[in-house]
Amino acid sequence: MSEAILEAPGSGAPETLANPVEQAISALKERFPEAVVDDPRDGYSGLVVPADKLTEVALALRDDLGFDYLSSVTGVDLIEDGKLEAVYHTYSIDKGGSAVVLHVQVDRDNPVIPSLVPVWPGADFQEREAWDLLGIQFDGHPDLRRILTWDGFHGHPLRKDWKEPFYEEDTKPFGSRWPAGGVLRAEELNPYGQNVQYPAGWVPTGDEYDVETEMYAITGADLAYSIDASQQMKTDKITVNLGPQHPSTHGVFRMVVQLDGETVVDLKPVMGYLHRNHEKIGERNTFLGNIPYTDRLDYLSPISNNLGYVLAVEKLLGSVVPERAEWIRILTVELTRIANHLWAIGFLLNDLGALQTPMLYFYIERELILDFFEALTGARMMNNYMRFGGVAYDLPDEIRGQATMEFLNELVHERLPRAIEQGDNLMTHNEIVRARSIGVGVLTRKESIAYSMAGPMLRASGVNYDVRKAEPYSYYEQLDFDIPVYYNGDVYDRYKVRMDELQQSLRIVRQVLPHLQATEGAPIIDGKPSYAIRTPQPGEAYGRVENPKGELGFYVTAKRRSSSPERYHVRAPSFINLTSLGKMCQGHKVADIVVILGSIDIVLGEVDR
Amino acid sequence: MGNPIIFLLLAIVAIGAAVGMLTSHNAVHSALYLVLNFVTIGVFYITLNAPFIAMVQITVYAGAIMVLFLFVIMLLGAEQLRGVTDVKGGERVHRAVAGLLAAVLLLASALLLFQSDAPEIAAAAIDTSPTALGLRLFAGYVFPFEVTGVLLLAAMIGVFVFSKTKKRGQDA
Amino acid sequence: MTFGQIALWGLVVGFVMSMVIITGFAYTTLLERKVLARMQARVGPNRAGYIPLPGRGGQEKKLLAGFLQPAADAVKLFFKEDPTPGKADKVVYNIAPMLAVIPAILILAVIPWAGKIPGLVPEQYSYFAIVPGLNVAVLFVLAVTSISVYGVVLAGWASNSKYAVLGGIRASAQMISYELAMSLSVLVPVMIANSMDLGVIVEAQRGGWIVFLQPVAAVIFCIAALAELQRAPFDLLEAEQELSAGFNVEYAGMRFGMFFMAEYMKMVSLSAIAATLFFGGYRGPFVDQVPVLGFVYLFVKIFIGLFLMIWIRATFPRLRYDQLMLFGWKRLLPISVINFMIVAVFIVLAQEGVFAPITRLFGF
Repeated sequence: MSEAILEAPGSGAPETLANPVEQAISALKERFPEAVVDDPRDGYSGLVVPADKLTEVALALRDDLGFDYLSSVTGVDLIEDGKLEAVYHTYSIDKGGSAVVLHVQVDRDNPVIPSLVPVWPGADFQEREAWDLLGIQFDGHPDLRRILTWDGFHGHPLRKDWKEPFYEEDTKPFGSRWPAGGVLRAEELNPYGQNVQYPAGWVPTGDEYDVETEMYAITGADLAYSIDASQQMKTDKITVNLGPQHPSTHGVFRMVVQLDGETVVDLKPVMGYLHRNHEKIGERNTFLGNIPYTDRLDYLSPISNNLGYVLAVEKLLGSVVPERAEWIRILTVELTRIANHLWAIGFLLNDLGALQTPMLYFYIERELILDFFEALTGARMMNNYMRFGGVAYDLPDEIRGQATMEFLNELVHERLPRAIEQGDNLMTHNEIVRARSIGVGVLTRKESIAYSMAGPMLRASGVNYDVRKAEPYSYYEQLDFDIPVYYNGDVYDRYKVRMDELQQSLRIVRQVLPHLQATEGAPIIDGKPSYAIRTPQPGEAYGRVENPKGELGFYVTAKRRSSSPERYHVRAPSFINLTSLGKMCQGHKVADIVVILGSIDIVLGEVDR
Repeated sequence: MGNPIIFLLLAIVAIGAAVGMLTSHNAVHSALYLVLNFVTIGVFYITLNAPFIAMVQITVYAGAIMVLFLFVIMLLGAEQLRGVTDVKGGERVHRAVAGLLAAVLLLASALLLFQSDAPEIAAAAIDTSPTALGLRLFAGYVFPFEVTGVLLLAAMIGVFVFSKTKKRGQDA
Repeated sequence: MTFGQIALWGLVVGFVMSMVIITGFAYTTLLERKVLARMQARVGPNRAGYIPLPGRGGQEKKLLAGFLQPAADAVKLFFKEDPTPGKADKVVYNIAPMLAVIPAILILAVIPWAGKIPGLVPEQYSYFAIVPGLNVAVLFVLAVTSISVYGVVLAGWASNSKYAVLGGIRASAQMISYELAMSLSVLVPVMIANSMDLGVIVEAQRGGWIVFLQPVAAVIFCIAALAELQRAPFDLLEAEQELSAGFNVEYAGMRFGMFFMAEYMKMVSLSAIAATLFFGGYRGPFVDQVPVLGFVYLFVKIFIGLFLMIWIRATFPRLRYDQLMLFGWKRLLPISVINFMIVAVFIVLAQEGVFAPITRLFGF
């Protein structure tokens, strides 16, 4: 496809182009002659835009060309050219299809790019992340602070010349781990205390980074002790920290909340407590060695994560996936979706205060899915199942003493539908559930697109957008299923979207099972079943899948003859969906914060990466 | 009147609580002393053989009104009262006069109490069961009772009217 | 009987009953954990103590697995470190758990446990209670429940923690709101029995339970009692999901345990009150012949009450603070006022003989 884009403007006549991406690209080039050019690099698609034209190009894309959805913002350190590059992926909600990719290159020593937050508020956290990890300064960003590393962190770790305290080598496998056949721990090379270099003359006092005051100042600068004119009563606003240690933040996540009585005035999410710089690790790993790491992103749907990553790398490798492998992929990914949604709905009800009963009832069925995964992949959660050009193992002969197909048939035709119906009967029309969730945390259609929401968040706000339909991958085009869409954009609609998606996933799995029976014994991986490190074509690739939590994207670039990615970026749906949390919570009560957070359905492994 | 020792103990607690309420610098502590005072008074009523009044006293004053007090204190975060140090000269005189007046009043009422035969009246066997009390209240004193009710209602409506914000457009 | 005898009687019986209830409280926690576990497809505590029975295939079966769990919990709570937060109001912080437990025990004083048991009940009384014959027993219950909120409110305030203060504020507002509806629904049995003596109210249900006469009042009482107990779905003040534990977030050790003690004992005592007011109290078949059966019947009714509370906790999501207030003031209170007035009018009409022709028609 990248070939087509590169050739299109020169060869084909513009009016015959059916592809909206090509149309948009030629329109942009017409409108900004000489400023906007095709990316000249080998294997790259998209446009190179100068920094000073970026806002105009973005506005044109959003308002005139229909590319109104900013999916991913990230940066790349081009250290050889002395440049930093910001990469934007924009999609069209209405037309579907692939992305218009914008590359903005700026000088490495003075990396200033205009912020796109005024155009797409959803760029907020992503630009903060790019600033944090790569040091790109986004001019005009309202709140450009570090987001994943802590506020006193020195340097920008994704820059290629940044070395961590225990730095050994640039790529794995590290030879230094077994010198002369013995195993050596990295800490022994660099004993603690000698692994940090302080600036000359610098003595730590402990007060260097008063991050808390700064944080509170941002949340409540002009809010403290305001006199509410409507009530003529001076009320005391209090700042409450929900988290990092809190039972219902779904992990080590923190929200700084300004409260007026029980009403939320402002809310700022604080994250990064689980940050491990997944992307830096990914740049050191081989392409293949990265697959198990993707399991750890959204650890509730590991196989889905695998699929997103292998799709991206397969674009670079040009692999062809055999039929049976594709069916198995869809089977496992949809079962993952069911498992994830069962978990999400159970936890949402838990956040509503229903103790753990609905959650535990759904666990009974989720355990069966995990049993299947265990028999298939050897692990219940960290499956490490997908491979480039196929999957790792064929279906097992039996699961829990039952023939595999029999087990699966019973699961998708009897157990799961029964459990879903039971849950539906118990919860959907419960008076308290409805009272607590209808009209809470509303995002309108416009807002949800502007905030780059993804997955059920987007579809509950009336946006009919699902990557499986918009830009189909695998065999999803051949399958018959619907995209559940609800229009109120509140917590209840998100719940209903998830409930309906359970049904749709079951529908998909039911269609897949006969294909699996028909292709019994067929190959499950392309070419040699050896997992040798393969070096892909140079270039960039963006693989995206509809993960249970939303659009999961992997942006991977490769250099020639390199066994590890040059840049490996994850567009994490949990992370980006959090952008709108503050907005959704304003004006609601304390109890609603938890429910709204639950309705986003985050996993901190993916948020913090 | 029951046992004088019990009376003495209760009186000490009640007066101590009242003094504590006045002197404590923390509004929540003051409220707590007041609760203690109310409960003690409730026990007084029991010793006076009037359990109905005692229970009503505890339910209404200690149970409902003081909880509301605490609610307001906690909601407004007004626990810390102004210190004694920032009293102005004129205010000191006012305080002294007020203290003097209170002392005179207390003395006078004490004298009156000890001279009168009030304890004997209280100790006299009056039927204090809820039935008798109800009959007396709703038969003998029904007019004053109703008038008090209307008065309280008027006060409530008045508070509501005063505290209601004027709508936009009107003069503030 | 002299004053001294009455006091001694109250002390002895009160001590024995309190001990029984405190043990009962411990087992209420076990009951809650076990029942909740079963409702949630779990097993529940099953390690601390069991009776081994020989089972099939050499494996021993475990009977009553977990019956020592309350003892284990108590030991753990007693030996835990019990710190006081640095900036807490130390005096109030320390007396708050006591203020929570004392009213919970006090309510038990007026509950009639059984009918006239010869030798156990003094001559002039007709039923067994710690303080029998109190002609304002119903008011006593209301008074004690109304002051029982202090423990929670003060714990929340004294902890000097924002979560705890929010819990405390919620508690005070909730208690005031639901007390009105509860009082009004309690007055219905009082009017029907024409007495505030709980024993008389029980005896008035000789012909039939008041719940059949006045289901509305019974339902309102049960809802309001749940709110007074701060049990799910009204457990806003300790809402784990929002306030992480609310008023008791800073407490540890046995002082923390005392809040639970208060909660579970109030569960027991309010179940008993509900049974007494609306479900015939200690009355049941053959209770006139064998008065000791009264204990059994009341125990069964308390057990059903506890089970219902646990069931509700396992089932329902929690209400939001504003919804709770709205429900209390705009739904429950008007309904109970109207119901109260209807009952009052009916009773007066019946006394005036308005219904006499109708009853005569049916041959009563």
